Amino acid sequence: MRLDRLPTLRINPSETCTLHYNGKTSAGVAGDTVATALYANGVRVFGRSLKYHRPRGLYSLDGECSNTCMAVDGIPNVRAENTPAKNGMHIDAQNVQGSADFDWMGFMDKLDWLMPAGFYYRTLHKPACLWPFALKQVRKVAGLGKISPDFKMKGRYAEIYPTADVCVIGGGAAGMSAALAAAEGGLRVILLEARPWLGGSFDYRVSPYDGEKALYQRARELAAQVEAAANIRVFKHAANVGLYNNNLVTAFQVGPEGGAFDERYIEIRAASVVVATGCIERPLLFENNERPGVMQVGCAHRLARTYGLLPGRRAVFSIGHDLGLEAAVDLCDLGMEIACVADIREDGQNPDLLLALAEREIPLLRGWVAAKAYGAKQVKKVTLRTLEGSVKRQLECDLLVASAGRTPLTGPLTLAQARLRFDAHTGYFLPADLPAKMHAAGSLTGRNHPLAIEASGRLAGLKAAADCGANTAEAVAAAAARLSQLPGPERGTKLVMAPVKGRKSFICFDEDTTVKNIKQAIDMGFDVPELIKRFTSAGTGPGQGGIPGHNLPLFAARYQALAGATPVPTTARVPLVPTLLATYAGAHHDMCKRTPLDELQKRDGGVFRRIGVWQRARYFSEDFSCREEVLNVRNNVGMLDGSTLGKFRLHGPDALKALQRVYVGNMVKLTPGKIKYSAMCNEDGCVIDDGVVVKIAENDYYFTTSTVRAGETAEWFRYHTRYDGWDYHIVNFTDALGVINVSGPNARKVLQKVADADLSNEAFPFGGYREFVIQGGIPVRAMRLGFVGELSYELHAPASYMVCLWQILAAAGKEFGIRNFGVEAQNVLRMEKCHIILGVESEQRTNLLDLGLGFLWDRHKTETKTVGTVALRQVEADPARLRLVGIEMDDPRRAPRDGSILVDKRIRGYVCTARRSFTLERSVGMALVEAEMAALGTRLEIYEDECNGQKLAARVVPMPFYDPQGNRMRM
Amino acid sequence: MALTITCPVCGKRNGYEFRYGGEDKGPRPVEEGMTPRSWCDYVHMNACVAGVQKEWWCHKNGCGAWFTIHRNTLTNLEVEGVEVTS
Repeated sequence: MRLDRLPTLRINPSETCTLHYNGKTSAGVAGDTVATALYANGVRVFGRSLKYHRPRGLYSLDGECSNTCMAVDGIPNVRAENTPAKNGMHIDAQNVQGSADFDWMGFMDKLDWLMPAGFYYRTLHKPACLWPFALKQVRKVAGLGKISPDFKMKGRYAEIYPTADVCVIGGGAAGMSAALAAAEGGLRVILLEARPWLGGSFDYRVSPYDGEKALYQRARELAAQVEAAANIRVFKHAANVGLYNNNLVTAFQVGPEGGAFDERYIEIRAASVVVATGCIERPLLFENNERPGVMQVGCAHRLARTYGLLPGRRAVFSIGHDLGLEAAVDLCDLGMEIACVADIREDGQNPDLLLALAEREIPLLRGWVAAKAYGAKQVKKVTLRTLEGSVKRQLECDLLVASAGRTPLTGPLTLAQARLRFDAHTGYFLPADLPAKMHAAGSLTGRNHPLAIEASGRLAGLKAAADCGANTAEAVAAAAARLSQLPGPERGTKLVMAPVKGRKSFICFDEDTTVKNIKQAIDMGFDVPELIKRFTSAGTGPGQGGIPGHNLPLFAARYQALAGATPVPTTARVPLVPTLLATYAGAHHDMCKRTPLDELQKRDGGVFRRIGVWQRARYFSEDFSCREEVLNVRNNVGMLDGSTLGKFRLHGPDALKALQRVYVGNMVKLTPGKIKYSAMCNEDGCVIDDGVVVKIAENDYYFTTSTVRAGETAEWFRYHTRYDGWDYHIVNFTDALGVINVSGPNARKVLQKVADADLSNEAFPFGGYREFVIQGGIPVRAMRLGFVGELSYELHAPASYMVCLWQILAAAGKEFGIRNFGVEAQNVLRMEKCHIILGVESEQRTNLLDLGLGFLWDRHKTETKTVGTVALRQVEADPARLRLVGIEMDDPRRAPRDGSILVDKRIRGYVCTARRSFTLERSVGMALVEAEMAALGTRLEIYEDECNGQKLAARVVPMPFYDPQGNRMRM
Repeated sequence: MALTITCPVCGKRNGYEFRYGGEDKGPRPVEEGMTPRSWCDYVHMNACVAGVQKEWWCHKNGCGAWFTIHRNTLTNLEVEGVEVTS
C-alpha cells in the first residue's frame, strides 16, 4: 500500500501502531499523523462542517482548517493533521449524528438559503421569548467537538523561558540559512520549526537544487549543519503562537512520545528576530471547493512524498503556481494518473516543468480553472472552465488538486505590528516596514528560487547578528550583493475565484462561510474586511484564519472595485495556531512553604491546611472544634508552631524614621527589653498589618508581621521612604528564624526547667522581651505576649535549632501534660479574648478606628508623615462606617458560620469569627456591623447560607469574653 | 510579558520580576491643610500619560530596590536615557 522506498519519507513503515476509529481498528505506521493513518485506512470523510454538516476531508495537511478536527482520547477539536498517531488512540468524528460518512444532519446543506450571512444576529430574536428555544436548537445542530463535563485532562505540561541573541521563526531553507549565518560569530541562536522536522518546503521535493543535489537533499544537509552547530538551539514541532514587542517570541512545542513532556510553552527573549515562516497555499474558490478529495498541492504532494500514500488514483489539477506543475510531474512518476492540469496562468511557467509534463503526456490547459466539483461525499467529477467562462469541460477523477497560488504566512509580522501592503506583482501582502531588530526572509518575501530563498535567509541572519553587536557589515554587503544577482520575487497569480456564483464556494471552511455570504455582508454595508469577518464569522474558527486569511480581503476588494477598495488584511492575533489550554496552564506546581517543625507536627497527627504560602497544622485531632486543645491551653500548657510569622530586623541611622513612617504608633518611646504592639495602615487608613516591635539596641530594631504580610513588608517600607534617601537596612528573617509559642498556666514551669534565665513575673513581666539560652546551647529571643489570653512565651530561634528546641520543650513539659495546639485552637483562644486577626476581623475597607484600635495611633507625631494618618483624621467622625463588636448567640451551643451576614430589612454587617466556646460554655464571636447597631444589647439576626429562612439570633455584648481584666496573661 | 525593565542594581530583566509602583508623583505632600478631596487626588488620581512617563518599579523578585524608569505607555517599552520635561 505505502510507497515505502522513497528517500523523502518521514515515516518508518516497518513500525506499526493501532488506532481505534468508528468501531474499527486502523493500522498506522511510526511517523504518521492521526490524519494520515486514517487516510491510509481509506477514511476520506473526517468530519462534518459547523453549520451545513457538509462532509470534510484532508485539505492542507497542516491543520489550517477545522476539516480534520477530531476528538482524540476525549479531547475535542484536536487537529488530526498535526497530531502524531500513537498506539491505542481513540478517535471520533465531530459534529455528526451517526458517523462522518452517514450523518443524519446532512440535509442541513440544502437549507443554506435559510441561513444568510449573520442570520442569527438578525432573526430568531423576536419575540425575545423564542431566543432561548432557538439557541438550544442551534447548539444541537451546529458546532465542533463536545467535551464531557467530567473530562479530566491527562498529560504533562511544561514551560521554559530561554533567551537568545537571535530567534529564527521557521526551519525551512531560509530559516536554517539565517540561523547558520547568525551563529557564525558565536551568537546564541534559537530556531523554531512547527513541523517535527526541519526542511520546510524543500523537505519533500525531489526537484533539482543545483546540478548535483535535489531539494530534499539540500534540506537535510542544512539541517545536519544546524543540528551540529553548538550555539543553535533547535525546537522542532514547536509552533510559533505569539510575537510581542521587545522581541518576545512564544511557541508551543509537542513533546516526543515517551519524552519528559507532552506539550510545553516556550517563551523566548531574543535581541533580534528573523521571520522565515514561508508560504501556505491560497485556496481556490469554486463550487464545492472543500469536498473530500479536493486538496491543496502541498497536501497531495506531501501525502505521497512524506507519508508514502498516493492520495488518489486519477487526479485533475487546477493550480496557479509552478509547485502545482512540479507536483503533477512527481505524482505521475510515483504512479498516479493525471487526467489534466489546468493552470490559471496563460504563460510564465517554468519551461523545464512544461517539458516534463509533455514528456509524460499530461495535458496542460493554460488559462483554465476548476469551476465545480461533483460527488456526494467524495469528488467523482470536476468541471473545468476557461477563466472568462466561455468554454467548459467535465472530467472524471477521484482527486482534485486545487490551489490558486501561494500566500505568505504573515501572522508573526502582523503581531509585531509590521504594516502589510498588498503587492500587485507577487499578489502577496508584504511587510511595508519592519519593527526594529526584526527581519523577514525566504518565500515569505515573494522569492521562489531555492538559491534566492537561502540567500535571503543568510542576509537576514547576518543583519540579525549585527543587531546584537556583531561586526558583520562586510558580510551583509556581500550577502546583499549575492541576493541581488539571484532571481527576485516572481509574478503571482491574481485569480481569487473561478467564474461561478459562489453559493457553495467556501471562503472559510471552519465557519461554513461562502462567497455568497461575503457578498451579502458587503451589500448590507459591512464593507471592511474586519467587519465582514465579524459579521460572517469567516476566519474566526479553529484554523485561526488560515484558509480565508488573504482570500477574504482580496475578494472584498474585488467586489468593491468600483468604490476603489484596496485589499487590507484582517488582524492576526495570538495564538496564531490553536493551542491546548492545558499547555497555557502549564505544570501548575503547588508551591508552598513548610516550617522547620513540619515533620514533627505531622508525626504528632497534625492536620495541615494551606494558609497563604504556608502549609500549617490546623488541627491535632479529628475533632475540628478543638475542644481538647483549647482546654489544655486554658488549664495546663500547650505548644504552637508560629514559625510563619513575619520577622524582620531594621537597622541603620535612619531606622527609627522608617518605623515612624509606616507604624501608626510612636516608636520614639520604645525602650529595650519591652515590646510594643502596633499597626500599619495604607494611604486610605485601612489596616494592613499588625505586629510587635522591639528595640534591640540603638538604631537596631526587631519586629514581627502577620503571616500573610511577611512577603511584602520590606517592599512596603522601601516604597514609603523612596523619596527620602534614608540610610537603613531591612532584613527578612521570616525563614531564617522559627517561632514556638508556649502558652498556658504551666508555661513558666516548663520553660524554667530548660532556660538559663530567671523567668519569674518580676524578672520577665508581661510585655517584656528577653534574650537567653535554652539548655546551654540554643539562643532564643523571647517575648511575653498574650495573644491566646494566657501566660505565654513566644520563642524565636534559628530555624536550624527548631526541631531540637521543640523536642526539649516537649520533654520538659511531659510531666505537665504539654501538648500541641494548632491554628484553629489558637483561633478560638484568641477569639475568646477578642484579639483580632487582620484579614479575618478586617477586610480591605476596614480602617484602624473601625476595629477599635484607635489607641495604637499617636496623633501627635504629624511631622513623620505616617502612612494612613491623613485619611484616618479625615474619616474619624464618619458615622457611616462599620464597627467591630462582640456578639453572643442566644443558643449557647450554636455558632454561625464565619462570613454569615447580619440582616434586618437589608444587610447590616457580617460575622467575622464565631465559635462555640468550651471555656465559657457560650457561643460567641466578633462581627463588623453598621455603627448604629453597635450599641451593647442590640439584637442581631444572622442569616446563614442554606438556613432556609431560619435566622439565628444574637446580641451585642462587651469585649473581650474571656478574662476581661487580662489577669491571666500577666500571671 | 514583553516588557523588560532595567534595574539600577541588577540590570535589564524580564518584567515579570518587578512590581509596578505607580506614576512618579513626587514626594509626600505637606499634610497640613489637606482636604479629603485633595488627599484622594494625590493617592488615587493618575495622569495616565499616552506617551513617555516616569514611574516607579520594585525589583521584587530580585534585589528589592525601588527605582524609576521612563516607559512609553503606547508601546509598553522602557525608554532609556530620556528626560521628560512635563
